[in-house]
Amino acid sequence: MTIKQILLLAALPATFAFMAPAGKLVSRAVHIEFFSTTPAEDIRANNYTGTGAIDPASGDVVFSIPMQSFEFEKALMQKHFNSPDFLDTKAYPKAKFKGSIVDLGEVDFTKDGSYPLSVKGEMTIKDKTNPLTTTGTITVKVGKVSIESKFPIILADYGIAFIKGKPSTNVAKTVEVTVKGEFATE
Amino acid sequence: MTPNTTSTNSRPRRRILRKALLLLVIIAIAGGAYAFYLFNLPHRDVQATSTDAQVEVSALVQEFLTDASTANAKYLGEEGEGKVLEVHGLVRGVETDLNGQAVVLLESSDAPAGVRCSFTTTTNAQAAALIAGEAATIKGVIRAGASYDPDLELYEHVVLEKCAVVQSH
Repeated sequence: MTIKQILLLAALPATFAFMAPAGKLVSRAVHIEFFSTTPAEDIRANNYTGTGAIDPASGDVVFSIPMQSFEFEKALMQKHFNSPDFLDTKAYPKAKFKGSIVDLGEVDFTKDGSYPLSVKGEMTIKDKTNPLTTTGTITVKVGKVSIESKFPIILADYGIAFIKGKPSTNVAKTVEVTVKGEFATE
Repeated sequence: MTPNTTSTNSRPRRRILRKALLLLVIIAIAGGAYAFYLFNLPHRDVQATSTDAQVEVSALVQEFLTDASTANAKYLGEEGEGKVLEVHGLVRGVETDLNGQAVVLLESSDAPAGVRCSFTTTTNAQAAALIAGEAATIKGVIRAGASYDPDLELYEHVVLEKCAVVQSH
């Protein structure tokens, strides 16, 4: 072995240390919006505290959303949302989505650009889990990855039913959910 | 019965009727006012609410990691109005969320998760003045505890919102 070869070998671990592995992309401030529209009124709720992770290698996508962080314009609506009659957020403090990117080959996490996104998985709200497939956009820009997706949720699928009173006329049976997040390696 | 006695009898009856009607109107107005009050009920002013507990980042995080259901029952509110806490820890850094609010991560060397504090339009400047690595006490409302999520393969921080800096050292 020449001195040159030994030096090269010695330098190898250092080279690998600087080659960042295709690590997990994390967001600690995912934005989720609920939107319900009926002839009676439009209702929005926003949440900016979710945690999300995307594994560029496997395509796994996970979101965990603190339910008590949803903020409504009306304080009373927020109280109702959290109460045991509706989302029971004290007993079920987090909602979770667990899925994977369907066409992972179409997304190049190392190259700037905008890629169409299709994710298939399951959503858990309260104690109910349902399959969920959604589409959206994934944008790569100077090492930062942002995603945006919109999908409907049928409230009855999660055991949230408004049989009587104002909520039954003012809250839509299907609400639109928008997810936005900016991801980076931690 | 003479017509005379009938008229003296109907007068108090009419008076009672009038009083009953007045009472009904008052109840209707009060009910309407209460409904109006509920509909326009302001959000709780967290900073104006007295602090329920003062706690260290490590102690708070450990409480949730040790027994999540007991800690949730202790800290979270049934209608979403959780305990108002003053949390003391080391400032990891300051970021901005998608709502344009400052987010400060308080940590401790002996806990695997921290406390993530979202500020408000009126308190963002206080967060910006914090120095990473220094200690601070932040007041806010707790909205979620810390936990290890096996799907995320990450520790989730305690979520504190509507925050303001009580003391920075």
